[in-house]
Amino acid sequence: MAEGETEASPSTAVDLAGDFRDSGVAEVLDQLDRELIGLKPVKQRIRETAALLIVDRARQRLGLSQTTPTLHMSFTGNPGTGKTTVAMRMADILYRLGYVRKGHLISVTRDDLVGQYIGHTAPKTKEILKKAMGGVLFIDEAYYLYRPDNERDYGQEAIEILLQVMENQRDDLVVILAGYADRMDKFFQSNPGFRSRIAHHIDFPDYEDAELLSIAESMLAEQNYHFDADARAAMNEYIALRRAQPHFANARSIRNALDRARMRQANRLFSDTHAPIGVDELSTITGADLRSSRVFSGGLDSEKGRPE
Amino acid sequence: MRITQGAFSFLPDLDDVQIAAQVEYCLRNEWAVGIEYTDDPHPRNTYWEMWGNPMFDLRDAAGVMMELKACRDAFPDSYIRINAFDSTRGFETVRLSFIVNRPAVEPTFKMTRTEVRGRTVNVTMTTEY
Amino acid sequence: MDATPSEIRGKERYKAGVLKYSQMGYWDGDYEPKDTDILALFRITPQEGVDPIEAAAAVAGESSTATWTVVWTDRLTAADQYRAKAYKIEPVPNIPGQYFCYIAYDLILFEEGSIANLTASIIGNVFGFKPLKAARLEDMRLPVAYVKTYKGPPTGIVIERERLDKFGRPLLGATTKPKLGLSAKNYGRVVYEGLKGGLDFMKDDENINSQPFMHWRDRYLYCMEAVSRAAAETGEVKGHYLNVTAGTMEEMYRRAEFAKEIGSAIIMIDLVIGYTAIQSMSEWSRQNDMILHLHRAGHGTYTRQKNHGISFRVIAKWMRLAGVDHIHAGTAVGKLEGDPMTVQGYYNVCRELKNEVDLQRGIYFEQDWADLRKVMPVASGGIHAGQMHQLLDLFGDDVVLQFGGGTIGHPMGIQAGATANRVALEAMVQARNEGRDILNEGPEILRSVAKWCKPVEAALDIWGNISFNYESTDTSDYAPQVSTSF
Repeated sequence: MAEGETEASPSTAVDLAGDFRDSGVAEVLDQLDRELIGLKPVKQRIRETAALLIVDRARQRLGLSQTTPTLHMSFTGNPGTGKTTVAMRMADILYRLGYVRKGHLISVTRDDLVGQYIGHTAPKTKEILKKAMGGVLFIDEAYYLYRPDNERDYGQEAIEILLQVMENQRDDLVVILAGYADRMDKFFQSNPGFRSRIAHHIDFPDYEDAELLSIAESMLAEQNYHFDADARAAMNEYIALRRAQPHFANARSIRNALDRARMRQANRLFSDTHAPIGVDELSTITGADLRSSRVFSGGLDSEKGRPE
Repeated sequence: MRITQGAFSFLPDLDDVQIAAQVEYCLRNEWAVGIEYTDDPHPRNTYWEMWGNPMFDLRDAAGVMMELKACRDAFPDSYIRINAFDSTRGFETVRLSFIVNRPAVEPTFKMTRTEVRGRTVNVTMTTEY
Repeated sequence: MDATPSEIRGKERYKAGVLKYSQMGYWDGDYEPKDTDILALFRITPQEGVDPIEAAAAVAGESSTATWTVVWTDRLTAADQYRAKAYKIEPVPNIPGQYFCYIAYDLILFEEGSIANLTASIIGNVFGFKPLKAARLEDMRLPVAYVKTYKGPPTGIVIERERLDKFGRPLLGATTKPKLGLSAKNYGRVVYEGLKGGLDFMKDDENINSQPFMHWRDRYLYCMEAVSRAAAETGEVKGHYLNVTAGTMEEMYRRAEFAKEIGSAIIMIDLVIGYTAIQSMSEWSRQNDMILHLHRAGHGTYTRQKNHGISFRVIAKWMRLAGVDHIHAGTAVGKLEGDPMTVQGYYNVCRELKNEVDLQRGIYFEQDWADLRKVMPVASGGIHAGQMHQLLDLFGDDVVLQFGGGTIGHPMGIQAGATANRVALEAMVQARNEGRDILNEGPEILRSVAKWCKPVEAALDIWGNISFNYESTDTSDYAPQVSTSF
């Protein structure tokens, strides 16, 4: 069809607000708002991306663009910043706007794609790809695919297959690569093919202290616990200290900390109290339950010193 | 001779769009989809060669069409068929099977009649290329 | 009408004399059926002046241990356990004077694996009983404990398809026409033409056994030649149901053996050979890897009227136990009686692993088949290619659609008739799988196929307007409106 001509469409104008309403994307964005606390910059980027997708679709309808836009994305940031959750909502948005046919999300890491011996990788990668087709493939810590120092490594084969599919089967699959920003950068430098195929880079900054406290309180509330005033103050300090330590995983680190606090509370109640214990004591986390963490003395919180 | 095995052999050969539509039907029913090929279309030859294992957990026909293309590239002159497997209790069998590729020249079947007792004739069918 | 007399217990019960059935213990409104009880639902029309509960108790009594007067010998047995119990009675909606009565029978009353015994017990005496104007055995619940005493269909739908290597569409068949009179060679010719043109099966009709115009051995030989030849010409597995019905079991075994010897995949028997003969042939078929087709010849004498006889759904249940692989179960849209919902009920009895209660389809009991193999229903009688969308929509894939006249009467010849049916069917299945609404778009789909397939075009031209619109004599009492065959 010639440039500027349209198909037999009823109008040569679009109602973007109407499109937005009809697509149901608003519900997904609302859901995202509810599910994840804070993350303002990310939510903003998602909104912008959604707007772009709606406009792109409208342009296609008017014949202004013919080819499928590149939709692959990269999500960079520390663990626990909501990347997987946002990926799922993104799959839903893409589906509601008709960019993917089925809208499901398959989440994998390098081990799901790469084999252990010659000839093992290609079928393994292809199997994942087939399951993901019609939806979105989310590859966490994608940079582990590339291990140039180990010549027996089969990751390169997976990379090649992925690049091929990302270029030639854009109608069938959207790929989201995720991981730490600096490592992702290095990965793209060594594998420039990826960078050119990725249309949207979204960075997931760490949660702010106040957001993490809020997250802590809702996690506790879910299980019918709460902080007393002392504990709240202690938590604030804990967050600031923990953030500075290596392998900070945002909400996940919070969850781990709370789990240990509950353990200490339970032991405290068990050994200290002789009188009958009521609902209030059972559901209160005190400052003592938190301050016994080694994070306050500069060490790591877990016994074995593992990253959380 | 156009061998009329499979669910759609009396219709003109299905194109890729139509094949994908049938595969989508199988996926909607949550059946696993397998691709098989053979050079021997004798009706009692039930075990064609498998092009990979049956594919489970697919949500979209694109994955199957990818494998079908690869099978056609590898065996352009063989019969290829698509099977759908249903694991539901009471079935646990194939629910749909149809041919998606045929050799340029299809074989015929030769009947060999052996007279036995009375007027009885035992018939053997052999594939003739 | 007097109030129903209540049960008499203790010594009074066995004093010589005549008691009402409800006094003898055959009615118990509080009885909770056990999981192992066999349950029967009768639709009864008591004579004027007969109390319905007394009538129900009488049915229970006369189908178990009662006689018309008290007998002391009852006391030599655990009599109260042997008595069938009518436990529920309901008026039939919109039909005054007619009642549904539910009766429970203890498992001990029945011999394992014997339909003859089951029927002799349940229907042996009751239907001639004077106080009832009419009675119909409407449905039965067979407990798993009883179902497990039967081996069931020798082949079953799954294995039949695997043997034929045909999946994903209904099977196609046709009865050789004319039913009677052809010589063996001419008969075989019709078989060859139908199979070559595209049908999966041809069949003998119910009364083709061994008559002066064609003895059975000759028919079998020519039919198998036709089957083999058609298989070689198409590359498909083909079959012809060879009718082995005869006057004695011995003769039937001879015929079945010969069918096996010459390589047939399938034989057929008629319902009129009797329940015991059917079970014997089922056992034989199992031992000889033979698919067993049952023609329901004669059933219409007792299944058709709503108020008296046996509902075909009960026959279908008995036949699944006895063990047949195919059973004629109705077309709904063809020339023979069958309201669509009721016919779907029969199909469900044949094909489901477990039937749920479905009053609109006439299923009154939950029936667990304990993984007994499934029977392939057969739709046969006055159907043609122009109805393909209705047939597929009503019955799904696991059915044999038989177009006798609809194949052989085709203006372009038998092969063309077969091809028309096969093409129409495949196109309809393809369209349904693609997600189209075949019930409404069916005629359009057929017309578009007719554009490139002349046999379909000719079939639609000649039969497109044929339908059999008569009010059904046997519709559900619970249907939202009276339905007609269409």
